[in-house]
Amino acid sequence: MAEEWIVEANGLRKTYDGFEALGGLDLQVPRGSICGFLGRNGAGKTTTIKILLGMTAPASGSARVFGLDATQAQPSVEIRRRTGFVSEDKDLYDSMTVAEITRFTASFYPRWRRDLQEKYLRRFELPQERRVKALSRGMRTKLALMLALCRGAELLILDEPTSGLDPAMAEEVLQALVGHVAREEMTIFFSSHQLTEVDQIGDRIVIIDRGRAVVTGALDDLRESFRRVQLVFDGAAPAAEFRAANITRVQRNGRVISLLVSANADAVVDEARAWNPASIEVTPVTLKEIFLESIRMEGD
Amino acid sequence: MLWYKSWLETRWRFFIGLGLLICSAMGGVFTYPHFMKLMASVPMPNLPGRIGERIHEAVALAHTYRGFVWSQWWRQNLAQTGTLFAILLGIASLFSPSRGALFTLSLPASRKRLMGTRAMTGLGELFVIAIIPSLLIPLLAPAIGERYNAGDALVHAACFFVVATTFFCLALLLSTVFSDPWRPLLITLGIAIVIGIADQILEVPFVGVFRVMSGESWFRSGRLPWLGLAGSIAASAFIYYGALVNLTRRDF
Repeated sequence: MAEEWIVEANGLRKTYDGFEALGGLDLQVPRGSICGFLGRNGAGKTTTIKILLGMTAPASGSARVFGLDATQAQPSVEIRRRTGFVSEDKDLYDSMTVAEITRFTASFYPRWRRDLQEKYLRRFELPQERRVKALSRGMRTKLALMLALCRGAELLILDEPTSGLDPAMAEEVLQALVGHVAREEMTIFFSSHQLTEVDQIGDRIVIIDRGRAVVTGALDDLRESFRRVQLVFDGAAPAAEFRAANITRVQRNGRVISLLVSANADAVVDEARAWNPASIEVTPVTLKEIFLESIRMEGD
Repeated sequence: MLWYKSWLETRWRFFIGLGLLICSAMGGVFTYPHFMKLMASVPMPNLPGRIGERIHEAVALAHTYRGFVWSQWWRQNLAQTGTLFAILLGIASLFSPSRGALFTLSLPASRKRLMGTRAMTGLGELFVIAIIPSLLIPLLAPAIGERYNAGDALVHAACFFVVATTFFCLALLLSTVFSDPWRPLLITLGIAIVIGIADQILEVPFVGVFRVMSGESWFRSGRLPWLGLAGSIAASAFIYYGALVNLTRRDF
């Protein structure tokens, strides 16, 4: 059965004062997935999220969430009604107390989950009468997350949800997310440059670099298909040319040629034998390697 | 609840403005007898030029309580302080990145609704600032043995409110252009000061912005400044529309 895309963007372009933030981004997020949106700082992650939520208009291209056009005012309101969002800076109203901002937010969502509100207020130990500006960074993140989780949303969009948190706090937030998704039917699309947390909770990734998606797919599929093929020669490695289309990167260093292959490593191995290497080694690659090699390739 | 958010954003400006203008209105009423005594005992200085004319006019107007109130309250205190607070109430930090703008924009509310709620809250507060202190004048007048028509007070307050709304909308428009509150404040205030000076220099009877605001034609001839009021309403609507268009197109 064909996958249902809850988020779908095609050819998204956006320029700020001559800087191209998005250069024709294509993006698909299937319903029910936890999709990590990886990229360096300034790669275009936040811009993409803002377009999906109607906060920024693209110069060209299309963006649809729940099948609704995110670039149009009225559909965008409906998208936000069905979406929970946590911004990178954990934007909240400093002058309100925890109880006030909870009441305020709840008033916009007919499907607001009071049961979850009680649960997360207790679990996160959020002091209800304290003003938001008096909360620590960690508490602020927990409050922002609680306000997003209780909306009864079908989609959760999180922009760097654990940025600025210590490892223990980050872990607590991630566990809360995982636990939530295990119980509620929802899709999570979260941006991050923390590979470990994407690896920990994500089942799908999109790697973005310079405003374009360079790797997209299910994490298990990527782990399965990506391989490093290492050719060791007796003498200096030859200036070998490879025809296989799925070679993501070639590195030549002394007697060694190292190939990052995105799929069908066997075909690459067959082709490599023609260069008579002394040995050929095929090893799995980590998400970190996939990420670093993908963005390095684009940068070269 | 957007009302509540707008109220939280503006309440201190509102309370300070209301408090100041109530004090000013009460002060005006209760100093009138002392002012009259002072005028009777002090010889009139013979100052030349525009300033001299204004002083003579103010003294002449003060011979009646109605003239004193118009000269001191409607033409000066409310017009000046009230305009300042109209501008302050119009400055909307609702869309300032440092005031939770992304959180606001992530809510299922259109920008039109966000702007409308903010504008209506601010205008409601401006209306109260215009009406309550102004009604104190007829209410307190018997305490000093004078009378002041409440209908007059309402007409003047309405004139002030209509014209002040234009400055309010201008500040609102500039808030959608600039992220900080200072530039909208200074630019709108600067425009108000320039208009005020132009009113004084040009001296076109009844149609100057602050002359309309003070209801001068109503005071002098019992006629409402329809043209000026209609112009203010049209200008406010135009500026508000500009603010709405700007906000709708703005990237955050």
